[in-house]
Amino acid sequence: MSRERRRARTAVVIPFVPESPDAPPPPTRPPVKRKRAVEARPFLLDFFPLETESGTRLARFFDRLREGRLSTTRCARDDLVLWPPRTACPRCHTEELEWVDLPDRGRLYAFSAVLAGAPLGMEADVPFAVGLVDLDGLPLRLFGRVEGLPWNELEIGAPVRVEPYDTEDGRVFYRFRATG
Amino acid sequence: MNGRAVAIVGGATTKFGVRAATWSELAQEAGAALFRAVPDLEPKEVDSLFVGAAMPERFAFQSHVAPLAAEQMGIRPTRVIQRTELACASGQSAIRSAYAAIATGLSDVAVAVGIEKMNLPSMSEANSAMACVMDRAWDGPAGATAPPFFAMVAQRHMLEHGTTEDQLAAVSEKNHRFANANPNAQFHEKTFSRDKLLHLPLVAPPLRLGDCSSMTDGAAAVVLVAEELVHRFSGARAWIRGTGQYSDFHNLAHAGSLTDWPGLRRASAEALEMARIGVHDLDFAELHDCFSISEIVEYEALGLCPPGEGGRFVAEGRSDLGGDVVVNPRGGLLGCGHPLGATGIAQAVEVFEQFAGTVPPARQVPEPEWALVHNLSGSANVHSVMVYRRGRSG
Repeated sequence: MSRERRRARTAVVIPFVPESPDAPPPPTRPPVKRKRAVEARPFLLDFFPLETESGTRLARFFDRLREGRLSTTRCARDDLVLWPPRTACPRCHTEELEWVDLPDRGRLYAFSAVLAGAPLGMEADVPFAVGLVDLDGLPLRLFGRVEGLPWNELEIGAPVRVEPYDTEDGRVFYRFRATG
Repeated sequence: MNGRAVAIVGGATTKFGVRAATWSELAQEAGAALFRAVPDLEPKEVDSLFVGAAMPERFAFQSHVAPLAAEQMGIRPTRVIQRTELACASGQSAIRSAYAAIATGLSDVAVAVGIEKMNLPSMSEANSAMACVMDRAWDGPAGATAPPFFAMVAQRHMLEHGTTEDQLAAVSEKNHRFANANPNAQFHEKTFSRDKLLHLPLVAPPLRLGDCSSMTDGAAAVVLVAEELVHRFSGARAWIRGTGQYSDFHNLAHAGSLTDWPGLRRASAEALEMARIGVHDLDFAELHDCFSISEIVEYEALGLCPPGEGGRFVAEGRSDLGGDVVVNPRGGLLGCGHPLGATGIAQAVEVFEQFAGTVPPARQVPEPEWALVHNLSGSANVHSVMVYRRGRSG
């Protein structure tokens, strides 16, 4: 639903009361100077994480994703590939983690679709498919949006590849594309 | 079991549904209903208040809700006042915390209340709030909410065990039928045949509208007292005899097979062991049927039936009145609605009223002695279990 329609649904109706002819003229006020543009979506209802170095220690994930590389962190001490990327190993708690690229191919382990009840900002995407994907060659199962085929043409075991996509405001995230 | 024994000596719920009432008004309703239902309870003897509330910040733009609830309910806690948040298990979390406080001597008489206001003018905003239950930064951008996750559980269960849509509908038919005998249920006047359920619209395939619990406004409250004070309350008691909890994972990448919930196996085994009973001693169970498939997986994880046979278990009526164990005689989350923080408390109210023999005959379990309450939260990554035994006054 658009912001306008939402606003219209919740708007408070103030009845119009005509002014009497002998009422004093309304005081003139200087025009309001807008300091900055109203943000597209309130920060706390924004699904896309902070992606730059000013907001996250994992900015490299998004920088690499922009180059088409899906990556994550790895703990060399425990030989653990950690998803999602982290800043500390959950086993040995070292903060010395390294970046590794992940396979960009995998197969659907399970999937469904959102046909109703989408969160704010995703209403226009309905219907959309989501799924859990077993990446090729790693014991790693990632959740994400699945594009490329309508949900009712997807199958368990179907091959997918990982691809980055740009949000409308220049940020980036990953999704899967069914390769058929 | 260590510490003092703790009993629930009464409770009440508000009407569940799409309510023309604010969060605070629901708190007042719950307080009024509780003190009406437990006339032996004096507001001034309630020394502690535990408030189960999953996301009032999102749904009611309100934080610091425990003192707000106390004021709305006419209670002035002198020992412990706190909110418990564990998403869909926030209510049971309040009861567990009250139990722990009383068992250790920190509190003597505590109220556990659950309050949730979920229906907003903008349902997209409400759906966004529900998405925050998941790992919002990593699962959220894909549009992860509960329905597609539990739909994948259903898809895998169908693939691995041959579970059918008709078996899913059997859960929904049973729980809506019980809800028809529960005047506080959200859907107490709706009758769904299995055939009708199979023709409702898909929400997240293979789950249809009738397979999903709803966005619900509601509140419920119970009073818990220490064993030394139980004699001051007439009527039935629900003694807390066991409890267990297990937290397994959070990000969906770590959800494992989807169809096996080891956290529930562990939490229920611990609770039953504490109560010194086996699962087959249970007369009824309030299980967390946020989706029809959840109840099926829960039968299996609890050990009510072998793994993979949950669909057959419900279709054969073994979780219905007259079966092995009555599951969700209250009407479940499917029939009653699921006001997150209130659900676990409303389940405890049902246990108390079943023990007291005060529920309508259509859903009364005959002479129940033992009951189990289960809540999962999030993507079934946390499981919380309580075991209750019936007691009598005097």
